[in-house]
Amino acid sequence: MTTTDPLRAQKLADQFGRHVAMRLDAGTTEIPYEVSERLRAARVRALQVRRQPEVAPVMVGRGGVATLGWTGWFHRVASVLPLLVLAAGLVLIHGLMTERRASELAEVDAALLTDDLPPAAYADPGFVQFLKSGGGD
Amino acid sequence: MATERELSDFLLSVEKRAFKRTVYHVREEESALDIVQDSMMKLAEHYADKPPNELPMLFQRILSNCTLDWFRRQKTRNALFSNLSDFESASDDGDFDLLETYSSSDPSQQVESAEDSTRRAQILREIESEIMELPARQREAFLMRYWEDMDVAETAAAMGCSEGSVKTHCSRAVAALSKALKAKGIQL
Repeated sequence: MTTTDPLRAQKLADQFGRHVAMRLDAGTTEIPYEVSERLRAARVRALQVRRQPEVAPVMVGRGGVATLGWTGWFHRVASVLPLLVLAAGLVLIHGLMTERRASELAEVDAALLTDDLPPAAYADPGFVQFLKSGGGD
Repeated sequence: MATERELSDFLLSVEKRAFKRTVYHVREEESALDIVQDSMMKLAEHYADKPPNELPMLFQRILSNCTLDWFRRQKTRNALFSNLSDFESASDDGDFDLLETYSSSDPSQQVESAEDSTRRAQILREIESEIMELPARQREAFLMRYWEDMDVAETAAAMGCSEGSVKTHCSRAVAALSKALKAKGIQL
């Protein structure tokens, strides 16, 4: 004999499932004390980490106007100040390095222009090519 | 948004069932406690701002994920999912008839039948043992559907599968449990 009525079969299955669940429910009352205590402790810890809605720290002045207060502004400025000092320092170093390099190049150019040309230079094929290409003008 | 009291009440209402369910899955009380605690923490930390009616579903999902993470950590995930009986056809159950094993019972009479506490405890152990023998997905679907009293759609959402799969898992779980308990001479 087989179950031909799907609805009846489903009803019986649900009934069976609920009866098993009732038995299992009865079993939860027999959980050892230590386990119950650890579950309670876990619940308490979970409630402690419960996320609280974020509230901005706002001070209300006597006039009823919401303000961050002087200390708030001071902390904001103080937190940005090191970054400003660092940026200014980098700009200053960059300027000094550029100037120093320019002066070094100028010194080398001046030395080349004021020096006498050695005779051996005229035999150098590269120098001849340099004169032909008009670089000596 | 759930108040602290609502969240506390909810956790209190589910913690023991969650613990037992997890024990059925992982078979270790210590690990089960860790998993339940993890799930509670995650629910409270990330979803405490949700309405109270959404908490059960969220908690079941978190608990399932935490249990799965535990299996991953234990490197037994393959063992968990290699149980092909989850995916096999129910051909071997084809001749099983729930009516034959169950229809003769009168539920109200049997639920109320007096049994001593030793016998009840023994039956409970047998039921738990058979539940632990079920394939993981069948066990999960059966416990959510009947013990957590979730409907098919809710169970499907919590398990991340289709409603049809939930029905199949539950039907096979009921058939297997009914057959096994009958073989042990246990009438519910």
